[in-house]
Amino acid sequence: MATLRQAATDKLRAWTARRHGRDSLPVTINRRRVYILPTRFGIMLAFMLTAMLIAGLNYNSNLGLAFAFLMVSIALVTMHHCNRNLLALQVDVTTEADAFAGGEAGFEFMLRNEANVDRRDVEIRCMNAAGMRSVLARSSESVRVAIPVPRRGVVRLDQFELRTRYPFGWFHAWTYVQASLTAYVAPSPKGDRALPAAGGTGSALRSETRGDEDFAGLRAYEPGVPLKHMAWKVLARGGEAAVRSYTSLAAQPEWLEWSSLAGQDTEARLSQLCLWVLESEAAQRVFGLRIPGREIPPARGPAHRFACLRALATYAIAEPR
Amino acid sequence: MSSRAVSYEQLAGISACLALALLAHLGSLPVWVLVTVAVSGGIRLLLARRGRTAPPRAVRLVIALLAGTLLFLQFRTFNGLAAGTALLALMAGLKLLETDTQRDIYVITLIIYFLSVAALLEGDSFWLLAYLIGVCWLTTATLLRLTSTLPAPDWRRSLTYAGRILSQALPLALVFWLFFPRFAGPLWHMPDDGGTAGSGLSDTMSPGDITELALSDEIAFRVRFATAPPPPQERYWRGPVMHNFDGHTWRRAKFTSMTAAALQPQGPAYRYTLSLEPHQHNWIFALDWPSHWDLPRAALTSDYTLVQPDPVSRPIDIAATSYTRVQSSDPLSTRMRQRDTELPPHGNPRTAQLAQTLRGEHPDDMDYVRAVLNLFTQQEFYYTLTPPKLAGDSVDKFLFETKRGFCEHYASAFAILMRAAGIPARVVTGYQGGALNRFADYWIVRQSDAHAWTEIWIDGHGWLRIDPTSAIAPSRVQHGLNDAVSADEPLGSRWHRRTPWLADARLRLDALRQLWRERILLFDQDSQQKLLEWLNIPEPDGQKLVMVLTVALTLVLTWLTWAVRREIDPVRKEPLLRAYSRLCAKLAGVGIPRLMHEGAEDYAARVAQRRPDLGPAVTALCRHYCILRYAAAPARISLGQFDAAVRAFRPSSKQRQHAGARADR
Repeated sequence: MATLRQAATDKLRAWTARRHGRDSLPVTINRRRVYILPTRFGIMLAFMLTAMLIAGLNYNSNLGLAFAFLMVSIALVTMHHCNRNLLALQVDVTTEADAFAGGEAGFEFMLRNEANVDRRDVEIRCMNAAGMRSVLARSSESVRVAIPVPRRGVVRLDQFELRTRYPFGWFHAWTYVQASLTAYVAPSPKGDRALPAAGGTGSALRSETRGDEDFAGLRAYEPGVPLKHMAWKVLARGGEAAVRSYTSLAAQPEWLEWSSLAGQDTEARLSQLCLWVLESEAAQRVFGLRIPGREIPPARGPAHRFACLRALATYAIAEPR
Repeated sequence: MSSRAVSYEQLAGISACLALALLAHLGSLPVWVLVTVAVSGGIRLLLARRGRTAPPRAVRLVIALLAGTLLFLQFRTFNGLAAGTALLALMAGLKLLETDTQRDIYVITLIIYFLSVAALLEGDSFWLLAYLIGVCWLTTATLLRLTSTLPAPDWRRSLTYAGRILSQALPLALVFWLFFPRFAGPLWHMPDDGGTAGSGLSDTMSPGDITELALSDEIAFRVRFATAPPPPQERYWRGPVMHNFDGHTWRRAKFTSMTAAALQPQGPAYRYTLSLEPHQHNWIFALDWPSHWDLPRAALTSDYTLVQPDPVSRPIDIAATSYTRVQSSDPLSTRMRQRDTELPPHGNPRTAQLAQTLRGEHPDDMDYVRAVLNLFTQQEFYYTLTPPKLAGDSVDKFLFETKRGFCEHYASAFAILMRAAGIPARVVTGYQGGALNRFADYWIVRQSDAHAWTEIWIDGHGWLRIDPTSAIAPSRVQHGLNDAVSADEPLGSRWHRRTPWLADARLRLDALRQLWRERILLFDQDSQQKLLEWLNIPEPDGQKLVMVLTVALTLVLTWLTWAVRREIDPVRKEPLLRAYSRLCAKLAGVGIPRLMHEGAEDYAARVAQRRPDLGPAVTALCRHYCILRYAAAPARISLGQFDAAVRAFRPSSKQRQHAGARADR
C-alpha cells in the first residue's frame, strides 16, 4: 500500500514537473497547480455521510435528509476552502544552503500572504523534512525546513511541496514548486592535527594584509566587513560609511594544504581541512585553501569561509548545473 | 499531525459538543447510557486536568464489553434506531475515555454528527433542527481549533469561520434537499422499536378513557377542506369501532373483514386533506363516512374504519372524500347481527329490565330509540368531566344512581339498551368538532375533541348514527366541549382559551407549524413534481429531476468557487486598489499590460511612449492614484471621483495597429 502510494506520488511529481516546467522564484500559487484529495479522515467522513443519507432516505425523514445534505455541503465547501488556503500564496526560498555532513541543511522559505484571509497550517516539505506555519492576513512568515544530510556532497532538490489540511483535516491540498534547491554539505569537521603555522609554504615576509590587531587608519566601507570594525563615529558625523582598518600581527597568509595530510584517506583529509577552515576563521586568520584541482587565495570573512567549505563539499563531486 | 496529543481544552470542547448532541436524545436514550457517557467523559476530563493520559487499555476494554453486553440485554439487538443511537452514544462516551490523540477526537466529531441525524429521524420540530444545526456549528468550530497547529485562533474567530463555511453550505444544501430524488417507501424495513406507546384513542373504551383525553390539548390532526366544511353537527371524525362488551369495557372486534358494503351517498361530498399526527395505531381518522382516499395501502374495514398495515409513526397527509349522510340497502349478515346484539349473560340486570319494559311499550325500532333518548333528557342526567367512579355493574350504577357521565358513559349505556332490545348497536370512537384556524383556513382537531357515539342498524336504512351526548348536552356537538361543561369543570388550559389575544397567538403559531409540516416534513415525490411544474418543466419525471439537480448544483458550485476565491483577492475591500487594477486591466486590454515591478509613474510613462494619444489621460490618472495612495496631504481628487474617472476612461484600441506598424518599421 505504502509503496503503491509512493509510486503514484512519484508519477504525479514527474508529471507536474513536465506540465509546469521550471518555476522562477518567487512563485505565486495559481489554481491550476493545486491538487486536492480527501485524507483518511475525509474518507471516514464520506462513509458517514453516505450512511446519513441512507438513513434519511430509509426513514423518509426530510429533516434527517436536510441535516445530511447540510453536512455534504459543508464537506464540499471545505474542499474549496482547503484549496483556497494555498491559492495566491507567494513562496520564495533561498535556493542554496550550507551544512556539514551528519547535520541539517536549513532552507529558509518565505511565505507571503497578500489576501485578507489567514492562511493557517501551511506546510512546506522537501524530501522528508517539513515545516509548518500560519500566515495571517496581509503578512509574511518565514519557515525553516531542515533536511538531514548524512554525507558530504551536494544535495540537489528539483522541487518542493506546499501542503495544507486546513480547515478541518478532511482534505489535503498540495502543490509542487519546480525550483532547484541546493545544499552544499561540507565534510563534518574533525581531525586531530594542529592548525599549520602561518607561512608554512608562503612567503616569510610580513605582508600588509588586513588583520584586526593594529589600527592602521580608515578605508572605504565594503560589504562583508565585520560590524565591529565599522567607524560609527564617522558615519554619525555625516561622513561616508567607513571602516577602521587594522593590520594583523600574524597577518601572513596561512595555507591549508591537502598535500600536508598525506597518508589519510580522502574523507579524513577533507574533514581535517574543514576543521582547519573553521578554526582559522574563528581565530580571524588569513588563510588560503589548496586542494587538488582547486586553489582559493588567502582571504577572510564569511564569503571566503563559504567558498572554502563549498570547495570541500564539492571535491571530487560533479558540480551541479 | 493528527496523532498529536490532545489538550485539556480540546477535550473539554469536544465533551461539551457531545453533551449538547446527547441533549437532543434525552427522552429516548436509557438513563444508564447517558450516565455512562457522562461518567467516562468526566473521568477523562479529570485525568486531563491533572495532565494524565487515558486509563490503561485493559480497563477500557472491560468497560466497553460490559456496556455492550448491557446494551444488548436491554434492546436484544443493535439494529434499529433506538438501539443504534444508544450504541453510538456509548461508543462516543467510551471513545472519550480513551482519547489520547487528535485522531480520537475526529472520530468523536463524526459520532456527534451522526447522533444529530439520528435525533432528526425521530423528531420533527423546527426547533430541533435549528438546535442541531447550532450543535453542528459548535462541533465544526471545535474541529477547527484542533487542526490549527500554531497558536490556535480564539473561539470567536473559530466560530466566525465555521459560521462562514456553514452559511456558504446552506444554498448548496437547499439545492440538494429540493432536487435530490425521494423514494416512495423505505429502502428496507427497519425493526419496529415498539417502545413508543400510542397516544389518543386506543382500541378499547372503558368509562373514564375519553374523559382523560378531554383534558389534553395535544393536536390529533388538522384538516383543510377543499369544499365548504360540513355543519358542526355533522363533523364526526371516525376512528376505531367497538363491538365487544364485557360488562365494563368495550373492545374492537379481533378479526374484522376488509370488505365494506357499498354505501349510497345522500348529501354533498366533502373533499379535504387530513394531516394526521403520529399516534402509533394503524387506523386513520376520516370524516364520517369516508368514500375515497389517496393512500394506496389504506383500506376500509367492514365497520368503515380506515386502516393501514403499519402503525402511523410518522406524520402523514391523506387527501380524502367523505359523505356525512349515507344509506345502505344491503341486509345485515346474521353473523354481524349476532355480534352486534350480544351482551354478557350476567350483570347489569336493572338495565336489562329497563330495556324490556321500554321495548314492550315501543315495538318500533325508531320509537324505542326516541324513548331511550327521552329518558336521558327527562331524567336528571348530567354531562360532566368529573363523573363518580363506577364499580360492579357500571351501567346499572350510571343509569339508576349516579346519572353523571361523559360521552363514553352515554354511548355505552345507549348501545347496551339497544342491544338488550335486540337492535344491533356498536360504539364508534373518534373526534367530534374541531376549531377553525382563521389565520390559515384549516381546522384543528385536538385530543380534547375525542368523542364516542353509537351506531344502530335500522333495516332498510342501514347503520344510523345516534349520538346520545347530543341529547344531554346539545352544545357539545354544536360548539364543542368548552361550552358544554360548566365553568368550574377542570378543563385543561381553559384560561388561555378565554384570553382572545393569547388564543390568536396560539392559532398563528399553529398555522406556522402546519406550514412547516406541509412544506417541509411532508415534502415528497409529488412536491418535487409540483416544483418542476412550477419551474415550467414539461412532463416532470425522475430523470428530469436529476437533470435539474445537476444544473442547479453546477450553478451553486460555480458561485461557491467564485465566492471562496473572491475572499483571497488582495484588491477586495480596497476600493482604490480595485479602481487602479481596473485601469491596468483596461490598458492591458489595448496591449500594454503593467509589468510586475512597474510603479504607477513608470507605467504611465511607458504608456505615454507607446500610445501618445492616451498619454495625458493615463498620466493624470496615475498621478491621482499616487496622490491618493501615498500622499500625506489631503488629495484634491476624492476616491469616488478617481473611481468614476477610471470607469469613464475608454482607451481605443485603434491606434494599436498604428503603433504596431510603426514598431515593425
